[in-house]
Amino acid sequence: MELDYRQIFEAMPCFLSIQDRSFRILDANERFRRNFGEFEGRFCYQVYKQRSERCEVCPVARTFRDGERHESEEEVRTLSGETLSVLVRSKPILNEKGEIVAAMEMSTDITHLKSLQKLLRASQKRYHTLFDQVPCYISIQDPDLNIIEANEAFEEDFGSVLGRKCFEAYKHRNSPCEPCPVQQTLDDGRPHTREEMVTAGNGTQRNVLVTTAPIREMDGSISGVMEMSADITQVRELEDRLTQLGLLIGSVSHSLKGLLNGLSGGMYLVNSGFAKGDETRVKKGWATVERNVVRVKSMVSDILYYAKDRVPNWETLSAAEVAGDVVGMMESRAQELGVALKLEDLKSAGEFQGDGQAIRALLANLVENSLDACRLHPQCDGHSVVLRLGGDAEKVLFEVADDGIGMDQETREKAFTLFFSSKGTGTGLGLFISDKIARAHGGEIDLESAPGEGTKFIVSLSREKPSPEELPSSPMIKGSTIHA
Amino acid sequence: MPDGQKTILVVDDDPDARDFFVTVLEDHGYATVSARDGNEALDRIGDALPDLVTLDITMPEKSGVGVYRKLREDEGLRDIPVIIITGVSDDFKHFISTRRQVPPPEGYLSKPVEPDQLLEKVRELVG
Repeated sequence: MELDYRQIFEAMPCFLSIQDRSFRILDANERFRRNFGEFEGRFCYQVYKQRSERCEVCPVARTFRDGERHESEEEVRTLSGETLSVLVRSKPILNEKGEIVAAMEMSTDITHLKSLQKLLRASQKRYHTLFDQVPCYISIQDPDLNIIEANEAFEEDFGSVLGRKCFEAYKHRNSPCEPCPVQQTLDDGRPHTREEMVTAGNGTQRNVLVTTAPIREMDGSISGVMEMSADITQVRELEDRLTQLGLLIGSVSHSLKGLLNGLSGGMYLVNSGFAKGDETRVKKGWATVERNVVRVKSMVSDILYYAKDRVPNWETLSAAEVAGDVVGMMESRAQELGVALKLEDLKSAGEFQGDGQAIRALLANLVENSLDACRLHPQCDGHSVVLRLGGDAEKVLFEVADDGIGMDQETREKAFTLFFSSKGTGTGLGLFISDKIARAHGGEIDLESAPGEGTKFIVSLSREKPSPEELPSSPMIKGSTIHA
Repeated sequence: MPDGQKTILVVDDDPDARDFFVTVLEDHGYATVSARDGNEALDRIGDALPDLVTLDITMPEKSGVGVYRKLREDEGLRDIPVIIITGVSDDFKHFISTRRQVPPPEGYLSKPVEPDQLLEKVRELVG
């Protein structure tokens, strides 16, 4: 039996030693000797840690003190200089009288386990850093759509969301969205992608690309869904701008082709008029050339106005003076078309705050539109365009009325839409820009028109510079009021 | 009208374009009728029975595409040659190429048009 115990002692897969009260090693197993060398006459702290005196915290010392088992984690160094992490357990060895005569110390090598733990901690930390720092919103929802985890980006833009429903946090809704990619993933366990419009805590709208992924338990059941939303607002804005730019180029090139065709026509009339000695034809041709050159100029100014998002340069303006300037600008054009351009009711208009250059461009566009409406009327002569002023204490009104071809319902509805033109040579910029200018001034343009009966634009602007809240954040979104 | 004189219907909403084409054609011995939109064009065609139509595409009221379809659907009018004259080249070509049942127009000119281009095409189609 004696031999059996010795064999077991030697074969134990740990470092096993017997120590006396002074921590001198009395016996040790084969594995201990192999790793730490001969122990005869040496102390535990010398062998394990190459120290000259005992360790401050020592499980063996505690066992001698209280007779109990103790354990601690330690780092020790082997003969070959390798540092090992060990789990140390100590237990007393009693004599027949029950007195503690020695202590047994068993040290299990847990170096591998420790390095795995370290790796795990590092990977958890990396995962958390990734979760928090990744430039998209990430939240984890439970099967009832409650947010149970959210990353920093999410909380920064949507506020404190833990415990709230995702549809509340993302969209300020009271009920789940339809369809809901999170619900779809809960139902079929597969990832889903959708583009959504969400509302951040400060009320701004964001375009996000949402991707969901199931979070599974060990048994494969779905315990939640991770929702990752990449903010693609800038991409969408850029896309919109590019689309608009494409439309602008298309519309401008169409319009330019029409104007160049007019110029070709004018040149033909001039050249053939000279060849025939027909002065009337020469004059008519030259007028055509001039008219089309003016239209090219006004088109260029519209394009420039469209290209720059101008902030009004506020100044005090006299409505009568502004209207007078516009009529002056447009008079020769009206004469050439045989249209009477009149200015009425100057007195009540008074002064107002606005960007003079922009307001003149706004009114010139309306007058030009009215002149075109007269030009396109089947009956050529006797038309008139009236620029009438008015207003009250708060508002100044400019009314541009013509007796031209008028607009049908579709044209009325689309009149202020970007790139819409009913004229073969229109860019679809003029009225859009007039509307944009009116809105940038906190005002609006009303439109009354019927086919064959003419058109009336009513521009109403506040006399005082409006406060920032009264101004549209994006004047390009809504159209003006339109009446039949 | 002198014997054998051909009549051409000029359809365009832009008065400058109408004046241009009408003058060029009349200077070269053709009779002309003009219309400023699609509806007027259909009225004039019925009355004047032109030998050829020059047709703009973008117009208020009825567009050139609508007029073209109507012409091709009408037994009595489908043989009148049509020259499309427009600034929106690609759109119309695309429109026609996606509709097999509508045959392509006999002529196609892109604005701005040179007088010789127009005359050459007209002579080719009606002499």
